[in-house]
Amino acid sequence: MHFSIFRYNPERDKKPYMQDFHVDVAPTDRMLLEIILRIRDTQDDSLTIRKSCREGVCGSDGININGRNGLACVTRVRELREPVVLRPLPSFPVIRDLVVDMTRFWKQYDSIKPYLVNDELPPEKERLQSPAERDKLDGSYECIMCGCCTSQCPSSWWNPKRFVGPAGLIQAYRFISDSRDRATRERLEDLNSDPYRLFRCRTIMNCTEVCPVGLSPSRAIERIRLRMLDVQGHDGGLALHRVPTIR
Amino acid sequence: MAVRIAATGLRAWLVQRASAIYMLLFIVFLLAHFTVDPPHSYPAWHAWMTSYGVRIITTVFFAALLAHAWVGLRDVVMDYVHATALRVCVLALLGFSLAATGVWMMRILWMARG
Repeated sequence: MHFSIFRYNPERDKKPYMQDFHVDVAPTDRMLLEIILRIRDTQDDSLTIRKSCREGVCGSDGININGRNGLACVTRVRELREPVVLRPLPSFPVIRDLVVDMTRFWKQYDSIKPYLVNDELPPEKERLQSPAERDKLDGSYECIMCGCCTSQCPSSWWNPKRFVGPAGLIQAYRFISDSRDRATRERLEDLNSDPYRLFRCRTIMNCTEVCPVGLSPSRAIERIRLRMLDVQGHDGGLALHRVPTIR
Repeated sequence: MAVRIAATGLRAWLVQRASAIYMLLFIVFLLAHFTVDPPHSYPAWHAWMTSYGVRIITTVFFAALLAHAWVGLRDVVMDYVHATALRVCVLALLGFSLAATGVWMMRILWMARG
């Protein structure tokens, strides 16, 4: 099979280039990652890719495969159209070859407070949930933070510093929908405080299209918006206006 | 220290959804009217169009259309135009064009000779 792989070593190369590789793929070869590792082992040991579990759980080997983001370790190599064009995740800064810098991605993730906020006295054992309450986490807790969705989201391309991105927002929804969390209103207010944090999403749905785990960040974002409408408090719902603030 | 004026995204989102629903209902109403009881002459159409009720719901339709267009175009500008000065110019131009369209529409709807 014919592979065309993005190469860039900032210490050596002035600019990135595509390098061709030819590999004999046997009927027993299954996933793309095996072939990339074989190229590294037999043809060019400087080829760099990030990987860990090799079975679609850790989310390390997210790359762009024939124009579409996915995990190399769970992509069936024999089903790919030739030449197989492999590039690093779009819009993320490249560290080397197929490895990208995910610092900004993790900053956005951190900004949604990805942990339970509950100041109540903890019970002797764990905080209990009914099966129905637990079911509400399905569809968001499974996210493996591979970055495939955020990297393929046009809203994230144009405003990566301010738009949280689909991966961060599906995680935000995971905590908004958790019955044990006590900061739902604060979380919704935070996402509403800047029109860029959540509302840059234009429901393009690339995120849902490419998610290797089959989740729908787009639906999670829609549910957050609907939750915003539901919020009631002593001073009414969420703010529709903001008074000028001095910073 | 800088003064920062910000509207929330929730309001724009609500305006876009609400205006879309109104426009959809209005179009369904128009289609239903012209299917069930079509005017058979220009004077008949003109009389229907200039009746008070139709003028009012048509005005609301165009208000919804302009609001919808404003939110959509403002979103495009927010996405792509990052330089503040250029953004202010583009938004002002858009706002002026939409407002002018609104005034033109009001003239046609309300100053037409009945």
